[in-house]
Amino acid sequence: MNLRRKWDIFGLRLRSLARRKRVEEDLEKELRFHLEKQLEENLAAGMPPAEAQRAALRRLGGMPQIQEECRDMRRTDTLENSWRDLRYALRMLRKAPGFTAVIVLTLALAIGANSAIFSVIDGVLLRPLPYPEAGRIVRVFFHSASYPRFPLNPFDFRDFRARNQSFESLAGFTRNDLQLSGTGQPERFTGFQVTAGFFHALGLHPARGHEFTANAEIPGNERQVILSDRLWRTRFAADPGIVGRKITLDSRPFTVAGVMPPGTEHPGNEYNGVAHGETVDVWWPFTFQGNPAHRGSHYLEAIGRLKKSVTPAGAQAEMNALIAQLAREYPDTLAGWQALVIPLYQEIVGPSQRLLLVLLGAVGLVLLIACANAANLLLARATARQREIAVRAALGAGRARLVRQMLTESLLISALGGACAIAIAVGGVRILVALLPAGFPRADTIHINAAVFAFTLAIALATGMVFGLAPALQAARTDMQDSLRAGGRGTGGNRAHLRLRSALVVGEVRLACLLLIGAGLMLRSFVNLLRADPGFRPEHLLTASVSLPDASYKTQETLSFWGRLTANLDSAAGIRAAGVGTDLPWTGYDDNIGGFTIEGKKPRANEEFHARYHVASPGYFRAVGIPLVQGRFFTDGDNMKAPLALIVNRSMARRYWPNEDALGKRLTFEDHPKEKDWMTIVGIVGDVKDKPDSPAAEMALWWPVGQTPVSVNNMAVAVRGSSDPARLVNDLRQAVRQLDPTLAVANIRPMDDIADANVSTPRFALFLVALFAGLALTLAAIGIYGVISYAVSQRAHEFGLRMALGAQPGDVRRLVLRQGVKLALAGVAIGLVGALALGRVLCSLLFEVSAADPVTFASVSALAMAVAALACYLPARRATLADPANSLRSE
Amino acid sequence: MSKPSDLIQGTLDLLILQTISVEPKHGWAIAKRIEQVSEDVLQVTQGALYPALHRLEQQAWIRAEWRKTETGREAKFYELTKAGRAQLEKELAQWERLSRAVGLVIAQ
Repeated sequence: MNLRRKWDIFGLRLRSLARRKRVEEDLEKELRFHLEKQLEENLAAGMPPAEAQRAALRRLGGMPQIQEECRDMRRTDTLENSWRDLRYALRMLRKAPGFTAVIVLTLALAIGANSAIFSVIDGVLLRPLPYPEAGRIVRVFFHSASYPRFPLNPFDFRDFRARNQSFESLAGFTRNDLQLSGTGQPERFTGFQVTAGFFHALGLHPARGHEFTANAEIPGNERQVILSDRLWRTRFAADPGIVGRKITLDSRPFTVAGVMPPGTEHPGNEYNGVAHGETVDVWWPFTFQGNPAHRGSHYLEAIGRLKKSVTPAGAQAEMNALIAQLAREYPDTLAGWQALVIPLYQEIVGPSQRLLLVLLGAVGLVLLIACANAANLLLARATARQREIAVRAALGAGRARLVRQMLTESLLISALGGACAIAIAVGGVRILVALLPAGFPRADTIHINAAVFAFTLAIALATGMVFGLAPALQAARTDMQDSLRAGGRGTGGNRAHLRLRSALVVGEVRLACLLLIGAGLMLRSFVNLLRADPGFRPEHLLTASVSLPDASYKTQETLSFWGRLTANLDSAAGIRAAGVGTDLPWTGYDDNIGGFTIEGKKPRANEEFHARYHVASPGYFRAVGIPLVQGRFFTDGDNMKAPLALIVNRSMARRYWPNEDALGKRLTFEDHPKEKDWMTIVGIVGDVKDKPDSPAAEMALWWPVGQTPVSVNNMAVAVRGSSDPARLVNDLRQAVRQLDPTLAVANIRPMDDIADANVSTPRFALFLVALFAGLALTLAAIGIYGVISYAVSQRAHEFGLRMALGAQPGDVRRLVLRQGVKLALAGVAIGLVGALALGRVLCSLLFEVSAADPVTFASVSALAMAVAALACYLPARRATLADPANSLRSE
Repeated sequence: MSKPSDLIQGTLDLLILQTISVEPKHGWAIAKRIEQVSEDVLQVTQGALYPALHRLEQQAWIRAEWRKTETGREAKFYELTKAGRAQLEKELAQWERLSRAVGLVIAQ
């Protein structure tokens, strides 16, 4: 039968069933037409009307009979039988409510967990990015051996933009917040300076006004701003005439050039990173300032929309050619660089992809275990129903018919499970989203939707087929005569039956072990992470950031502001130390400086001296809790009049002065230094890693704020108290307001929160994998219990005989336990081997734990065996209750 | 007057399929056509015709459609599907074989 016809038949049957009324009406209309034709013919033959009517009706025979026969023809066996199977299955499930509840509940948990994880995957990985033709959007980085992903120099960028053939639009952007003061509390808004065509690259357009043009890139034209929808509504009352109005930002008048529509999502960035999403409130023009021949500083991030026919690899090749071209013009700054073009999707989603796939794998294993468990329970029941099945077979039910009946039952069970699973998934997704690590990309797009429903339905049905097939086939093979004759105590074929069930249990234990080991490794790694010394003291520490507008704060005003602020804070009651610095630990700061000269040293071949650079006030290290290893911290005396001072971290001291004392050594940033250009190392401080799970700390140096060569208008403030840092918030606000009421105190956060956010990803992974592992272990225990109880019930007679012959209860118990432990042992052994392979997948999620960690492997084995033994204990006790007298009598 | 189905099981299907193989027809026209062509030997009662039509439709061998007749009334027209045409070929071949076999037995 061809497919088309099958499909037609299916449609027709569905119609007969679903649109019964319509079909009936059609039938009546059809027969009435026939009657009228007959009547016409009779009249034409010259019959009088009454006679013609009667004759026609007679000829037709009984209308109802014909209708009934037609209905019969339409009614189809398959559908009717399915309905009957379904009703029967419902009856069977109602008869064993305990069994039904256990099996439906375990399936619901497993399917629900899968749906919940799937909804996260759907929202984060599968849903397209919120930009038109997002597949053509790419991020462009510089790349070298020491800096795998580096922002661009503005003038390099401008040349790329002018010369490339690959991009429909290539744009640059860099973080630069703006603060709004005037009405109400001053507030700082997350902002970006963007080149012309930035929104065009994203495929977005302002809802009002227009995007910046190339004209805005000329220095002096930067006082324009595009507002986010949120800012426009909350601070400007959704003023429809806002475009063209002047607003004061950073103490300067800015003209509003446009308002972006709601749903304008920031593509995410690295330098002073802001997460992907509706996280940005103001955009203003990036201007190309300075000498185009000086191309050493890299801070402009690039994003582009590829032309339709261009691939990221093609664009990368062209960018590399352009770098080579520019390197001939500017050999000093461009040698050694390559381009890196990465699709935006990968950029946003890539880091969480592995975590999500690991979670999907884990939850998939749980589903497999639930399947094995359900199959096991159904097999147990099939045994109990052997007689019923034999009777049905004897009464003429074909093998296919029996398989269908059994499959209907398992599908019904899985459908019930799936329905409950939806409820679990709805709750689960809420919990998942709440638990998601800070800054998880696209968390707001995670919802239970049609795709999730379809997924749930599909896996519920697939599950039903998988766990139903084995028991169904087994049932169909039931030897009719044997079962009927043995009166329900049939033993024939039970050996194969038990083998199948044992294999299922071994499989369950094995999968549970895999998950347990995964969870164990993650637990160890998480504990390591928490135990590791952060290198600073996050407790009792309040952090914030304050930005001084360039307009009113020149160098002198800036230095004086920071000096007075820290002095005022220091003297406040309850504050132990206060300081300002360019950055705080674990906040993603990664500004590097290279090319300095160390007195009496030569850099290694193909390398230059380099380090993360920071600026710190005298109180900064004490406030943050970074310990002094050697020398001294900065003092107020480290100012413009004093010799230049420098603090380095331990990593830098060890790397550049191995086997030497770094204290008192000198370095300079000048190519032809005079005596006053040398900076002397006055202190060495402890290491702080970029993130808690970074492999090692980067080399770092600090300039004193009083001698800073870089802008210190934006600073992080650290205030250490002696108790809850939330109490310090008002002191800090007060101190800032006292000095300048127009300044906003932004990003107020206890350091504990920052530290916590840094371990939220491993904690999230650990929580879920541990949850799934626990679920898996429980299911496996139920499986073992089921098989052993079944075996015990089969051998009750034998145990009775043994005891009659003198075996002690302890002997019988051991016998049963041995059987269960053997199964568990096999499962654990296979599981451990599998886990070794699995380790490779987990590697990147682990911290200072080997994927083959012997402690984890040993404890998981012990745990699994203990749970298995526990699951066997009840059936083992029951075995000893076998009545010897009973056994002897029946012999 | 004998029902076709009295003659040989399944022959009515063949007659219907053959009758609408040229052009779509409604039930009345099918019955009339069979009567005419068989010179009134084969009379198809509605009690046999309509269940047969519905059975054939359920098998997806014929397809039904409401259309206007030449007098402008709505009637249910049946036509062959592709699968139905194949089925007709098959039934025709079978009929040939059967009638030849019967012929051989009778000629003995």
